[in-house]
Amino acid sequence: MEGKTPGFDIGAGQIPGELHLAAGQEAAAVGVCHHLRDYDTVTAPHRLHHIAIAKGVDLNRMTAEIFGRETGLCSGKGGHMHIFDMDVGFAASEIMTEGCPPAVGAALTAKKRNEDNVAVAYIGEGALDQGAFLESLNFASVHDLPVVFVVEDNDWAISMPKDRITAPRDGSKRADGFDMTGDRVDHDDVVAVYEAAGEAVGRARDGNGPTLLEVQVHRRMCHFMGDPQTYRSKGDQTAHRKRDSIERLAEDLRAFDIGDEELEALRDRGPRSCQGGDRVGPKNNRSPSRRLLTRTCSPTHPRE
Amino acid sequence: MNGTDRVSIDTADVWPEDAEDDERLVVNWFVSKGSQVEAGNSICEFQVERVDVDVPSPVAGTIDPIVLEENAAFERGDTLAYISHE
Amino acid sequence: MAVPADLDRTMTMSGAMVEVIATEMRADEEMFYMGEDVADCDGIFDSTEGLREEFGRDRIMDVPISETAYIGAAVSAAQEGMRPIAELMFVDFFGVSMDQIYNQMAKNTYMSGASVSVPMVLTAAVGGTYNDAAQHSQALYGTFAHLPGMKVVVPSTAYDAKGLMHNAIRDDDPVVYLFHKRLMGIGWLPAPDGPKTGVPEESYTIPFGSADVKREGADVTVVTLGLHVHRALEAAEDGVDVEVIDLRSLVPFDEETVLESVRKTGKLVVVDEDYRSFGVTGEVISRIVENGLGDLDSVERVAVPDVPIPYSRPMENEIVPDSDDIIDSIHNTNS
Repeated sequence: MEGKTPGFDIGAGQIPGELHLAAGQEAAAVGVCHHLRDYDTVTAPHRLHHIAIAKGVDLNRMTAEIFGRETGLCSGKGGHMHIFDMDVGFAASEIMTEGCPPAVGAALTAKKRNEDNVAVAYIGEGALDQGAFLESLNFASVHDLPVVFVVEDNDWAISMPKDRITAPRDGSKRADGFDMTGDRVDHDDVVAVYEAAGEAVGRARDGNGPTLLEVQVHRRMCHFMGDPQTYRSKGDQTAHRKRDSIERLAEDLRAFDIGDEELEALRDRGPRSCQGGDRVGPKNNRSPSRRLLTRTCSPTHPRE
Repeated sequence: MNGTDRVSIDTADVWPEDAEDDERLVVNWFVSKGSQVEAGNSICEFQVERVDVDVPSPVAGTIDPIVLEENAAFERGDTLAYISHE
Repeated sequence: MAVPADLDRTMTMSGAMVEVIATEMRADEEMFYMGEDVADCDGIFDSTEGLREEFGRDRIMDVPISETAYIGAAVSAAQEGMRPIAELMFVDFFGVSMDQIYNQMAKNTYMSGASVSVPMVLTAAVGGTYNDAAQHSQALYGTFAHLPGMKVVVPSTAYDAKGLMHNAIRDDDPVVYLFHKRLMGIGWLPAPDGPKTGVPEESYTIPFGSADVKREGADVTVVTLGLHVHRALEAAEDGVDVEVIDLRSLVPFDEETVLESVRKTGKLVVVDEDYRSFGVTGEVISRIVENGLGDLDSVERVAVPDVPIPYSRPMENEIVPDSDDIIDSIHNTNS
């Protein structure tokens, strides 16, 4: 820790800045991305790491990026809110609905090239009222593009509850106004999401147009690490913490006679796929990169 | 004390009821040694579990001295400062 | 720092801003404040702390995440004669709503032949230095100052913040009031020494276009604003007799105070947390060149090189000017 200790300082420590953790939103990531291939595109907002993991982003290089290392996916320039891994078609950007038009563009590209790629744009329910999202719905619908808009509804836009800023309560109804298919999974269950997303991704891949899919998830943590959540009742915080889709899945698996040992082995597989170590962790992050002032433009040359 | 009383500003009096954390820190003083304050004036704030807690002056008087300066860490019940009053 | 006898009370910059908003809202029922997380959350950067408690959610309004809609609505409410303040949570989000800002808010008075006025304040948090990366760390002072029709104000102390906010709210034209996160006095974003100052209880205004000499000196003039006022004051402790001028507003721009200082020192260093090219540093220098070339022996500028703000701490520290960079430039004016 640097700066004032023992107080919390958002610019101090090994992971500074507004770190948005996604505990409680895993079902929306896994349930959808399980249907995707490496060449499919996913755009994600500021709360992105669960989606990145589900899309198959390189965990070692993402971890290095979170620590601001030059070995990170973005050379330490992007940070934990701007993760790009073009090998698996993943990009994240932290301003509301910025990822929607790019997802539409990826879908447009696929359609023009007559390829079966699908694009998925993730947003939070707080972003349902943002222009770029609504414009993207219309563009995707009128051009019949292979894109799925996934709304992760965790009830809270930082301090603002959904029912105080957004009408209607069910965000998937937005689809009606654009003559496209809308669906909502109103319980935080990965299997239910998987089934709904199967329909949506299949519709897109078959060339039958876009879908808006809203998924109820839970914000088990604060908005960003350091947010004291003074605006949120303890009861609501506890209720969200109790609804853990991972535990729910474990219960489902136990019902199929999968034992605790096997479940533990599954849980272990995740952390072990990130090796850690010196090229990944926070060490040696002392001097600015040689590339600090370069690569604001692409390294390619203009076409002849 | 020449006819004046001295009152301690006790951190326990303004401690948030639901705080569990042991870490706390003086963030800002809004007055300095020798300042005249009215009862209820906000005189400083400290941080507990990332929440800034405002400290009102319990009485009218003169701040003297400030015990816990900005950035000082402390525990519940420690004295922030003293106020002399008639 | 000793507090003057008549200023027993010191305040953070956010405290001073909030006090003014409350005072003006009590006096004018047609004032209201719109923004994201400004009611129950008190503003992410304490910009509305305690206001909802006094004025309720009807006047301290949380709004949908629809900057185009609520900023455009504020423009129209202002034209109808109300006195709205609209808060853009981070200035970096301006792109989402810039059409309403620069094509409506800034131009309606001119385009209508002054048959409407737009008495509103647009507040926004600016600045980096806490590793929030490319989309949450910009200053963008020059962007707003470039587009005609908006007054642009940047306080660096609580005292200035109060006087400038009173002036902003009472102004009959749109004012963009940019507050630096690092100066607000938030517990989790420690401020440098300096922005917290004595603040009188009574109301006062600081006219726009009145730069403030924050430190008098005879050898080199340093012109800056916002966080970098404090970094320049730190640099001024290095031995050279530096005069530090805090612009306080970019539009209108107080040319005379800078010219007067340069007449005395002959050396000008302009320091900015915004991008280097086509921005504040270039503009300040060209104003002084146009009207005071004969007095000028040496010019330096210190700004963010023309790259987005990187995330990693050593990278961000390298590109955001610090007091050592300012000291180097001060010395360069003598070489």
